[in-house]
Amino acid sequence: MTVLEAFVFATVLCGFFGIIFKQNLVMKIISMDIMSTGVIAYYILVASRTGLFTPIVGNKNNVAYADPVPQAVILTAIVIGFSIQALMLVGVMKLAKNNPTLEIKAIEKNNMS
Amino acid sequence: MTEITIAWLSLPFFVGFVIYLFPKLDRILALSIAVISAAYATQIFVEELVLNIQLVDNFGVTLTVDQLSGFFILTNALVTAAVIIYCWQTGKTAFFYMQLIILHGSVNATFICADFISLYVALEVISIASFLLIAYPRTDRSIWVGLRYLFTSNVAMLFYLVGAVLVYQAHNSFSYAGLRGSPSEAVALIFLGLLVKGGIFVSGLWLPLTHSESESPVSAVLSGVVVKAGVFPLVRCALILEEIDPIVRLFGVITAVLGVGFAVFEKDSKRMLAFHTVSQLGFVLAAPMVGGFYALTHGLVKSALFLITGVLPSRDFKQLQHQPMDTKIWLALAIASFSISGFPLLSGFGAKVLTSKNLLPWQVIGMNLAALGTAISFAKFIFLPHQKLAGNGDQMIKLDEKTGEQGDEGKKIQPGFWWAMVILLGGLVGANVFYYQAYSLQNTIKPLATIALGWAAYLAVFKKLVIKIPRDLELFDHLMGVMSLMLILLFWIVWTQTQYLT
Repeated sequence: MTVLEAFVFATVLCGFFGIIFKQNLVMKIISMDIMSTGVIAYYILVASRTGLFTPIVGNKNNVAYADPVPQAVILTAIVIGFSIQALMLVGVMKLAKNNPTLEIKAIEKNNMS
Repeated sequence: MTEITIAWLSLPFFVGFVIYLFPKLDRILALSIAVISAAYATQIFVEELVLNIQLVDNFGVTLTVDQLSGFFILTNALVTAAVIIYCWQTGKTAFFYMQLIILHGSVNATFICADFISLYVALEVISIASFLLIAYPRTDRSIWVGLRYLFTSNVAMLFYLVGAVLVYQAHNSFSYAGLRGSPSEAVALIFLGLLVKGGIFVSGLWLPLTHSESESPVSAVLSGVVVKAGVFPLVRCALILEEIDPIVRLFGVITAVLGVGFAVFEKDSKRMLAFHTVSQLGFVLAAPMVGGFYALTHGLVKSALFLITGVLPSRDFKQLQHQPMDTKIWLALAIASFSISGFPLLSGFGAKVLTSKNLLPWQVIGMNLAALGTAISFAKFIFLPHQKLAGNGDQMIKLDEKTGEQGDEGKKIQPGFWWAMVILLGGLVGANVFYYQAYSLQNTIKPLATIALGWAAYLAVFKKLVIKIPRDLELFDHLMGVMSLMLILLFWIVWTQTQYLT
């Protein structure tokens, strides 16, 4: 459990450092996706604290169910996350016309004052 | 009342899509939503309503409606109405009104929800809707500014989500009250998300560029209400948990000082207003108990000012000093500037008095400094030259060369502009009823002295001062980097705070 948690946080941090260190805008967006993958994995990990069985009512009693609440919550977050990502990529496509390299420094130079 | 609340909450989203189906009715439908929200807020004040709603089941959505939400909802309603009227004749498409109304609805949702996940959903909808509004002109610049905003807030919300699940782990519930007894890192992560979203302290440095480079009506909505969606949950948490209260107050003070520190030296009118928004959010946080009233007056003033800058001949103060504006516009500008500096007769005065009465002793120096800075920065507006122009109000307005707003305001000042001013400035005078007790001789002296001192400082020093503050901190990479620093700072603050309490 602890090892898994460490891996999950490593994923989140990898994503975050990618956002900071990658120069290309598309790479930054991919890094953001990696970060959100880490966050989603963390929700799944928290859900599996109490057990691994799918929480469906059946004829078996007293099995260790996984907690359905974090899973349901993160489902919403996944949907929101990918719609935001789609929106961002559309914006990037538009920007790519005048900033073909999509280097963040060049874009900021062209568009800040 | 529960049914009414739910119907009112979901109506904007429904109507938002209806607008897209019936584009001819766009403005009327949009305006009626704003009116309904205003009516709902009035109802809260009349009934002195306190409502706790638990939807579906134990893990369902929780909503809390009280006077504090009432103030924020009223702000939202008035600002949205003013912006719709301002845009009435500018030929904006149905898409614009649709986004505006969905934004209105999701901002309302943040003002009444009481658990972290509903808040998360509402905040993300706000991000998307604001992005679409910022990018409405479809220029490269506007798309980049919007993209930067969306990126920053999405990364902040990812941190927030980790915090939310830590709270759940500790309490098996997502409600705000669960912050008590949660590990320090949970509080730090959630606060990081809210601070970035609300534009507080250094993590709010994305705000000036976003708010100043958008079109005027969009800036008015963003600065008037949208940032308050990030601030409101902080205020709510501070009121529920007394352990959080000192942290929120501390951020209030440092934000107020930081914001005016930038605003005083700024030479561009829209950027100055945006920095000043940062500082005013600090005032809201500095006294969470009465933050609602302050948020109301600030929302009205700031959106009025942003709308006015949209019709000024230039954005640059230096140019404005040589180019007289119409006396009528100047009058509106002066009323708004007087209110925000805390001049009696306008409700900005009541809000300042009320806030300063609810400050803790250690906050007083910082807040007085911030109030002085406010007076200095708005002296820049008050002392601009003006003259009565022939053909009143029909003078040409230069297009905003920076944002490249193509005919945004048209070439003439639309009558819609004046109606928007009537709503916003009338609201400022009307809001005095919430705190008429402020009018005593003792209370009046201090704001007047502050204003006099501020004006003197402006005329003697700041008018001639030319200091350019570097904008490096506003670069995208730095915004991200600052988040990690803020996370460490927040963790340290929360950790010492809890150590101290137990």
